[in-house]
Amino acid sequence: MIDPVTTEIIRCALLQAAEDMNTTLIRSSYTPVIYEAKDCAVALLDRDHNVLGQSSGLPIFLGNLEVCTRETERLHGRQVWREGDVWVLNDSYIGGTHLNDVTVYGPIFVGGELAGFAASRAHWLDMGSKDPGGSMDSTSIFQEGLRLGPVRIYEGGEPRADLHEVIARNVRFPHATLGDMRAQVACVTTGRRRLAEIVSRWGLDTVTAARDEIFAQTEQLERAAIAAVPDGVYRAGGFLDNDGIDLATPLPVNVTVTVAGESVTVDLTDCADQATGPVNCGAAQAVAAVRVAYKLLVSGEVPLNGGSFRPLSVATRPGSMLAAEAPAACQYYYSHLGLVIDLVVRALAPALPGKVAAASYGDSLIVQMSGVDPRTGKLYVSQEATVGGWGAWDGGDGETCLINSVNGSLRDMPIEVLETLFPVRVTRYEIRPGTGGAGRWRGGNGVVREYEFSGDTSLSLWFERSVTPAWGLAGGGAGAPPRVTLNPGRPGEREMLKVNALAVRKGDVLRCESGGGGGYGPAELRDGAALAHDLAEGMVTPPGRAQAGPAGSPVPSVK
Amino acid sequence: MDIGGTFTDVVRYDERTGRVVASKAPTTPGNLADGVFSALGRVVDDPSEISFFVHGTTQGLNALLERKGARVLLVTGEGARDVYRIARGNRDRMFDLRYRKPEPLVPRSAVTEVAGRLDWRGEELVPLDEDAVRAAARRARGEGFDAVAVCLLFSYVNPAHEIRAGEILAEELGEDTLVVLSHEVAREWREYERTSSAVLEAYTGPVVRRYLAGIEERFAERGLTVPVHVMQSSGGLVNASYAMRRPLQTLLSGPVGGTMGGVAAARLLGRPNAICVDMGGTSFDVSLVVDGRPDISAEARVEGFPVLMPIVNLHTIGAGGGSIAYAEAGALRVGPESAGAVPGPACYGRGGVRPTVTDANVVLGRVDPSWFAGGLMSLDVQAAHTAVADLARELRLETLQIAEGICSVANAKMAQAIRTLTVEHGVEPREFALVAFGGAGAMHAVFIARELGISEVVVPRFPGAFSAWGMLEADVRRDLSHPYFRSGGELDGADMASRLKDLQDQALEELAGQGVADSRMRIEHAVDMRYEGQDYTLTVPLRDAAEPGTPGFPERIAARYADAHTKRYGHATPEAPVEFVALRSTGFGVFPRTAATHAAQPDEGTRTVREVIFDGEAHPTPVLRRGALEGELTGPAIVVEETATTVIPPGCVASVDGNGFLIIKVGGVK
Repeated sequence: MIDPVTTEIIRCALLQAAEDMNTTLIRSSYTPVIYEAKDCAVALLDRDHNVLGQSSGLPIFLGNLEVCTRETERLHGRQVWREGDVWVLNDSYIGGTHLNDVTVYGPIFVGGELAGFAASRAHWLDMGSKDPGGSMDSTSIFQEGLRLGPVRIYEGGEPRADLHEVIARNVRFPHATLGDMRAQVACVTTGRRRLAEIVSRWGLDTVTAARDEIFAQTEQLERAAIAAVPDGVYRAGGFLDNDGIDLATPLPVNVTVTVAGESVTVDLTDCADQATGPVNCGAAQAVAAVRVAYKLLVSGEVPLNGGSFRPLSVATRPGSMLAAEAPAACQYYYSHLGLVIDLVVRALAPALPGKVAAASYGDSLIVQMSGVDPRTGKLYVSQEATVGGWGAWDGGDGETCLINSVNGSLRDMPIEVLETLFPVRVTRYEIRPGTGGAGRWRGGNGVVREYEFSGDTSLSLWFERSVTPAWGLAGGGAGAPPRVTLNPGRPGEREMLKVNALAVRKGDVLRCESGGGGGYGPAELRDGAALAHDLAEGMVTPPGRAQAGPAGSPVPSVK
Repeated sequence: MDIGGTFTDVVRYDERTGRVVASKAPTTPGNLADGVFSALGRVVDDPSEISFFVHGTTQGLNALLERKGARVLLVTGEGARDVYRIARGNRDRMFDLRYRKPEPLVPRSAVTEVAGRLDWRGEELVPLDEDAVRAAARRARGEGFDAVAVCLLFSYVNPAHEIRAGEILAEELGEDTLVVLSHEVAREWREYERTSSAVLEAYTGPVVRRYLAGIEERFAERGLTVPVHVMQSSGGLVNASYAMRRPLQTLLSGPVGGTMGGVAAARLLGRPNAICVDMGGTSFDVSLVVDGRPDISAEARVEGFPVLMPIVNLHTIGAGGGSIAYAEAGALRVGPESAGAVPGPACYGRGGVRPTVTDANVVLGRVDPSWFAGGLMSLDVQAAHTAVADLARELRLETLQIAEGICSVANAKMAQAIRTLTVEHGVEPREFALVAFGGAGAMHAVFIARELGISEVVVPRFPGAFSAWGMLEADVRRDLSHPYFRSGGELDGADMASRLKDLQDQALEELAGQGVADSRMRIEHAVDMRYEGQDYTLTVPLRDAAEPGTPGFPERIAARYADAHTKRYGHATPEAPVEFVALRSTGFGVFPRTAATHAAQPDEGTRTVREVIFDGEAHPTPVLRRGALEGELTGPAIVVEETATTVIPPGCVASVDGNGFLIIKVGGVK
């Protein structure tokens, strides 16, 4: 029996070890998508692939790095692990995400004995897909770039030059890509050093006893939190606009949450089959999305470890877009994951009124530009997510112009940085008033971001949630859907939400408008002073003008 | 002098005798100057005898914390009015459906747009609409704004539009309204961060100006003949008249004093590297001294708002003497919740019943109950025992076991806070000395050092007033930078050298303006670099302003960058092309140093012996007054002084050096 003091010191040390890995990765990464957008995650695992400590830049990478070490061992046996080896994997059907998310991991040996694993996942700028940076219209994984199974990039501490060469020849930005890979290796090295220090100091038996105790403590806290949620079967449903190929067909996603005593089951089997377009993900990622919703609602404060998700089970259907199989395209693996998270929140709204919020604008709303910069003659890719309105809750208005939940702590691209790096100008960056859903508590507003191209550009767009815009709760109104207009008020004006590699000319203008968040409670109960303040601040459109909103857009069905 | 939340600490150095004296007076929140003068009165009879005065002011920060700053009108370019409100749209809490950004200091209705636009090279696309600027000025006057902040896109490349807008605003508004131009506050790219910096200066500036003007006036009345100096967030000093022009730089001037004390201590000890830890009742602040310099960031966040200015990098966690220990699911947890000052730890006898770190120390005998806070406060030892024993029962442990456990968990967490900073820098803590101060720092320092493999702990004199002492030891400092975007391939060394020469001249001129004599001026140069495609930069030092013009410079600087990258991040990409981003010149005005002397006063206080618990065993432990220390002292021992208690466990040896530092050689490193 281990004493609570030692357990607590080891627990803190493991959490810190994961933080140190994360710091190493973020500080040494090459591209902004990692150090700025934090499109990455790290985990320290025990030798049975349980999470000892995790630090996640992106919430949707929550607790699924271990699938990589687990799968490697399943394929090759436990004897495959050798000291000083580092592995790499980006297979969508194992890791669950798109090929850009590459997991780098390695075993940790202490005194010749396998003690655990260190793993890091990060988004690589380009994997050699048919269009730079990734395609909006891929229909097969083979169009999406280099796919690496579990393979060693370091052997016995030495880099495998041949495999580095393979990667360098298959991606568009080899310096940046290999720079990021080295950062991930440095992160794994930090994890190795930290776990070795902990095991050397306390001994593997003590650390293992502490681990069991820590997992048991966490499980106990999780079960107590779930017990506080009223038992019941909770359902919600919504639609993804389309798969990016067949723009006319919305794709349904329905969730059923069953709370029984100290356990929760989330059923995701009732959703569209895996799609032709790139809106598919591996089952591991669907599980991670449910875990995010669970943390948002149930036990956000409890640090994550191998005991965290024992009371939670998730059902997926192989061959569906939430558990896709080869060769489904997976580039936009996250739009329906954001929807899953929002739907779990909506389903549980009657049970957890003190925790939920109305829906947010709900998608990353990607603007991707690429081409040859006329100023330098070099190829460039710019990829931005667009901020929008978040949902209101009982007691507060939703925030205005905030990044999508799936994007973690991503910041928008400063105009000065964007214009310096790429041949484009931002002519407006403004709040889009009146787009938050009405209510006693108002939804947050979306944004208007307007670009003028300074050279011929290949434009790709991924704007979602027009079929199921941000819904209100408790009688609150829905937020406005997104809208994108090419050359507004000019000849050739054109509206669109998704497009791949559209050729636009120098001088063309693109106006991107993001959606607002849902409102909470009936609008008649809105406080007069709050309304007056909103008018003075220009956050709502003056009375007499209709509140912008989706007339006739289908409200998600609650089954 | 350091104005803290509760006390205003003052340290006086006597140039004739070499004696250092510390004292304090209660901080007077209504008018901080009252506390300043009452503290001063305790150490100086005649202000006209003062040859140098420096203080850290919290006036600007208080105005921000209490949201009692100026009413600011923000002027932006057309189409950019919401850049400030959008605030880059990010969140810093991931599992929060109800996230709110910090409430902006300028409401949307107080933002006004003026036409005028530059491109990324600073070339004019749309001329400045001067009439619109005049209209903004009239609005500021008509609606009674205290300050106007101006931030236009690309002003960091070409400030012409901002300068012209500033001229018009000054014409229309006169001296009474503070006008802040973003490029003067921070000549760096990223419009939101620059706007936020300008807004913070406009918001806190009028308050800081009033305060400094008041202090100078009162000093003059009392016969002070030398300028008042103010600590900047960068750890450098400026005189008050400069601080009135650039008040933002004083925003975080208080806690920085401790780091500058660490710099001075490292110098006096002849050690390049030090970890500075300040542990009080509720928080634990860590900062680093690397190669004799304070670890400074080019950017920080204050109350959630970004500020682009050189600022000493402080990492703070909620751990202190007041941190509460509790049981959760059979586990022992310590902090971050604190008992604060009221009710405070159970041993304060103010009604607290939950055990804290201080209570644990009392139970272990590490606090002398008769000499707590210099004997100003008596402790309820029984209450501490009861609180800790209750928790011990809950966790089925012995009282002493849990008391030591509470301290061990707190020490482990503080050690981890240090690790966070050292990992970020790619440095090894074992190469550092640990400088411990604040009320509780010296009680835990040796234990923290053991966790990190640190072999030397330094407890300065007057640990409670160390920040004030650090200010006395700081240099005048001016940081200048100039954007300089060039790819490695198109580097013109002669051009870079001539730009640096201009910066150097400007720095020398500014130092002269600070009253620094020529012989005391020193300039350092550096260039910010990165690999092409990266966004973050590393500041790479240059030998001097002329170095870029010398033969072989491109290869030399690329190699130096690769070295710096490897040192900081553990790897480099030598084959990747580099680019230059900015030039930096920093001017220092070096002041004569205090040469403190230390003489033991063996008659000070009596030596007692008490039982203290270390590693589960009671050790008869001498308790000594610090002033009485002489020669080597082998642990276990407890050293008490007015503001702090130092715990020297078995296996450690302490001595006092010629500067009065208590140096502990740490044994039993883990």
